[in-house]
Amino acid sequence: MDQEKKTLGFYAHIYKMILLQDLKSKMSYRADFIISTIGMLFTNISGFVAFWILFQSFPDIKGWNYYEMLFLYGFSMLAMTPVQCFFDNNWNLSRALRTGDFIKYCFRPVNLFFYFISEVFDVKGLGQFAFGIGTVIYAWNKLALPLTFANIAWLIIGVLSASLFMIALMNFAAATGFWLIGATSVMIFMFKFKDYARYPVTIFNRAFQFVFTFLIPIGFMAYYPSLYLIRPEHLSVLTYLTPFFGVLFFYLSYRFWMRGAKQYTGTGS
Amino acid sequence: MEPMIQMTGVHKEFKVVNRREGVRGSILDLFSRDYQILHAVNNVTLNIMPGEMVGYLGPNGAGKSTTIKMMTGILEPTSGEILVNKRVPYKNRTRNAQDIGVVFGQRTQLWWALPVIESFKILKEIYRIPDLEYKDNLEYYDALVGAGSLYHKTVREMSLGQRTLCDILAAFLHNPGVVFMDEPTIGLDVSMKGKIRQLVGSLNERKGTTVILTTHDMGDVDALCKRIVIIDKGKMIYDNDIEHLQQYFGAYRTMKIQFCRKTEELENKVLEKQAKEVEKWLLEKFPLAKSTAVSVEDKWIQILLNEDEIRMMQAVNCIQDNRRIMDMNLQEITTESVIRKIYEGEAG
Repeated sequence: MDQEKKTLGFYAHIYKMILLQDLKSKMSYRADFIISTIGMLFTNISGFVAFWILFQSFPDIKGWNYYEMLFLYGFSMLAMTPVQCFFDNNWNLSRALRTGDFIKYCFRPVNLFFYFISEVFDVKGLGQFAFGIGTVIYAWNKLALPLTFANIAWLIIGVLSASLFMIALMNFAAATGFWLIGATSVMIFMFKFKDYARYPVTIFNRAFQFVFTFLIPIGFMAYYPSLYLIRPEHLSVLTYLTPFFGVLFFYLSYRFWMRGAKQYTGTGS
Repeated sequence: MEPMIQMTGVHKEFKVVNRREGVRGSILDLFSRDYQILHAVNNVTLNIMPGEMVGYLGPNGAGKSTTIKMMTGILEPTSGEILVNKRVPYKNRTRNAQDIGVVFGQRTQLWWALPVIESFKILKEIYRIPDLEYKDNLEYYDALVGAGSLYHKTVREMSLGQRTLCDILAAFLHNPGVVFMDEPTIGLDVSMKGKIRQLVGSLNERKGTTVILTTHDMGDVDALCKRIVIIDKGKMIYDNDIEHLQQYFGAYRTMKIQFCRKTEELENKVLEKQAKEVEKWLLEKFPLAKSTAVSVEDKWIQILLNEDEIRMMQAVNCIQDNRRIMDMNLQEITTESVIRKIYEGEAG
């Protein structure tokens, strides 16, 4: 029986168990839950205010109008949700490595990456998700985008693929901790790039266009997938490649993470 | 019977950069090829039979953790062979993990925010423990330590002792062939230590689980292990019965006492005078106890006794008759002091 392969279903089942229990216990710490939700709300509102003030002075940026930019903003927020909800434990990796606590994850007969990541589920990301949905719907209406099945399907596929890029980026950043002491600052640095994801890649100069497309591919977190919906006449081949690149990039980051974990030998205890 | 753990001529080397001083030195280190080979584990051969409970001792940096990491499949040996349950541990870490349990004294492996019973349920799924086996174990745990009253507490609400207890129960939950315990009683008070030792003893006896116990506390070993393996500087320096080892630490006990509340304000001269007096009282009453030695250490009066010559309580009573003892504590015998004695024994 124990010889059988651990399937995706097995992992989904375990994840569901941990998630449900974790949610239950989070609900019992109600004050903590409410305060962190309010905190998230304010962070988002202040982001919006800055965005709105910017557009009071400029009617458009390089031909991108307010509602198109708002759409990208909302899209990038949706794409940020999975990394914040499900992959938050990456932020604790550096400390777990430094204290030697990481070793305890190595003794379970399950995938190490899965086991480590599944430990933390962060509810705060859900507030961001609600904001993102609201923004996208509002911008969608103002831009009078057609409400077709293809568009809705692409929105879902696009958001899911886009989210893989940020997850992968944070995996890479966190996994540097297997070799470096200061991995947390690498993570903070990488995390900052999410703020650039909400702008069209074309407003940057050519060097940054290249960086944001192929090196730190945040262009895929909103801009390239959104083109299909808001600028179908200017489609890039990269738009269609978003899901493939997303999966590839995530897979590479997973391999990098696992390779780090494999050579990790723990501090003496 | 096949051994549960079989280590043959196991070596583990680490490459360490020879560090240079200063900023310039640390920049040079980045490109350095100047390595030094560190022999963390040096030619260790060891067979452990199923059901054995072995105390694995050694000072910090002796190679204990490295050995355990090789046995559990986290590290690959540089040379030599390891078989755990007839399998090479590092070749398939996840497969090997199915058959072992691990307990760390101060690092819980349970889910911090969840009630223990929910952690157990998740472990049941992860290890695919059959329903009957799982139910059996829970009932047994409840009968053994009254674990039922802890099941609905979350780990974060527990005391260190309760947490350690639950961690041990969790490690045995999937009925593994081997359980590795790394300092399970560290930081616990005396009564909890006793409870933990009793629990481990019962689990080992009932389930026939092989247990490898690393510790700094000779009390753990004394209570649980028939066999002791000691490693120092990567080499095995002792592998024998506990009785044989007792000649090195058995009868000696160290006791510390204070006569005043604020001894830290007292001058050493005063304390030394007190120590002299204590020695005098003890020698007058027990002239045959020649090994008795009294000294001052860290503002405490430290008394070393050989229990074959004089019982601890007799000594306490004798001192108490002469002067009121304000505070006292009994030193645990550390593995370090035993190892020192082994070396001294060899030299003599």
